[in-house]
Amino acid sequence: MTAILLDGIVQGLQLSLLAVGITLIYGLGGVLNLAHGQFAVVGGVAAAILVSAGVHPLAAAAGGIACAGLLGWLVDRTLLVPAYRYHGEDRLLLGLILTLGLSFVIDGALNYKFPEFSLTFRLPLAMVEVGGIPMRTASLAASAIAIAVFAGLFAFLRFTLLGKTIRSIIENEAGAELCGIDPGRTRTLIVILAAMMAGIAGVTQGLFSSLGTEMGPEFTTLGLLVAVVGGVRSVNGTLAAGVLLGIVNAFASHYVGAYVAYILLLSAAMATILVRPAGLLARFT
Amino acid sequence: MKSYLDLALLGIVLALVPALAGESPYYMRIATVALVMMSWTVAFNLVFAHTKQLFLCLGALAGTAAYVSVVLTRQWQLAPWITVPIGVAAAAGLGALFSYVSVLRGLGVIFIGIVTLAFSLIFHNLVLGLRELTNGETGLVSHGLGLAFLERPVAAYYVFFALLAAALAVYCVLMRSRSGMAFRALSDDELTASLSGIDVTRYKVLAAAVGSAILGAGGALYGFYNGIVSPSVFSFVGVDIPVLIALVLGGMRTRLGPLLGAAAFAVIEELVRPFGQLNVLVYGVLLIVVFLAFREGMVPALARVFAAIGASRGTRARDAASRPAREA
Repeated sequence: MTAILLDGIVQGLQLSLLAVGITLIYGLGGVLNLAHGQFAVVGGVAAAILVSAGVHPLAAAAGGIACAGLLGWLVDRTLLVPAYRYHGEDRLLLGLILTLGLSFVIDGALNYKFPEFSLTFRLPLAMVEVGGIPMRTASLAASAIAIAVFAGLFAFLRFTLLGKTIRSIIENEAGAELCGIDPGRTRTLIVILAAMMAGIAGVTQGLFSSLGTEMGPEFTTLGLLVAVVGGVRSVNGTLAAGVLLGIVNAFASHYVGAYVAYILLLSAAMATILVRPAGLLARFT
Repeated sequence: MKSYLDLALLGIVLALVPALAGESPYYMRIATVALVMMSWTVAFNLVFAHTKQLFLCLGALAGTAAYVSVVLTRQWQLAPWITVPIGVAAAAGLGALFSYVSVLRGLGVIFIGIVTLAFSLIFHNLVLGLRELTNGETGLVSHGLGLAFLERPVAAYYVFFALLAAALAVYCVLMRSRSGMAFRALSDDELTASLSGIDVTRYKVLAAAVGSAILGAGGALYGFYNGIVSPSVFSFVGVDIPVLIALVLGGMRTRLGPLLGAAAFAVIEELVRPFGQLNVLVYGVLLIVVFLAFREGMVPALARVFAAIGASRGTRARDAASRPAREA
């Protein structure tokens, strides 16, 4: 029981890390990024290439994350520029289609270039006891990284001036603009930040299990589900939803099988949109 | 009186395809698949372009109809004449349900997209999970289940030709009736439409149900024609993306757009076939390019070219020039 719970929390933190980027880009840029999982895969693949080129694993991980960030910057400054010209529903629709197209481009390119690819950091896998349950250090490290990133993100949003401007834009873009905030520049920053967090999720995925080039759509879907359940504008809600869905998924996979578990998650997201479109856990913000 | 000359001409061209390619099963298959794609795009035109409901579950709806009819035929030895309508009804019911619920909850175009995308994935996982019924990833053999005429290339072509003609007839009747006016009004501005007394819920659900029925009919017949129904036949990449590209490429809210777009897409698909793995990348690039640079579509662009030619000759100039505005 406890083992499944811990496993769920570890998975859930990874999901939160992926989903929070979707939440931030949607909240701030008004674009639902359907290529977010692909950002994670790009980060992981870049790290793996650096490792195989003989770079130290830590530096390679940093390089992979930077690569994901660079991709985010590129996408924001080129592909999404036409979408930003529109507002509201039109921007959402165009952004959705453009990022969907982008996800296919990245998937196609990666599958073509690196078929049969898989990333695992072959670190010595020591086991430690956590509350009487043996856990792999890699899982613990991945969770610690996720928690540290979230702590940093919360501190950034709460205590820095830039974080406050970001929250003000999420509240009300026009109002923030009237106060002299440039939404475009903040948006670029957030897209880079979100892409880098996806990159971290991709790299840590390789830390405790393996990462393949075909995993982009799966990452995107899972991140989207978590973002939807958590409320697509709420960072706290996304964190809570990720952990919750991770635990639900772990228990469901164990007792009723992976397909049913996935169907449960999807139905949860569908039900959330229909019952409480602002997000199931958005109250906690 | 609106002229149907363009449709009639296109119909004659399509009807003559077997005379040109009848000897080659390969080309007949491409042509038949293009016909299926055309009817799906006609359906999506109705649902997405006319009533602004972004259904990202086209493959899943077509697949639902196909699986329902093939599984019923295999499990209970029912005749396809009975099971295909059941499959179509299942798809239409699901489409109407999504539409009704989303209007009821006031979901924007994006959230309909997410809900229907979630349904696509649920469908896919259900098919993989219910292994005893669906045979999982491998799929079910649907040949020899009582629709023998679908196994002869030319006969099958005319079956799908009839399906497309029926879909277009339904589309034209809808667009000429009160509902056509309602569609035009609510695709401009939903609030204004409902304020002027149009029952928005009714017309959106109507469009979704009719569109889903067309998707289902195409899906079920395609399931029998294809000889095998498997998750990959009705995948998101295999159905939803091509239809989306074909519709925008051809021209949204036009009568001929879905046909020209799907035909153009079939040609493009043949061109990229040699590159194998890269077709996903090509789809992505097409999706981006079409939505950024070609949002207006082929039909309005062609109409403008014809209008320009007409104007330079000075004959029928007024009629031709007013055409794009009316069509769009």
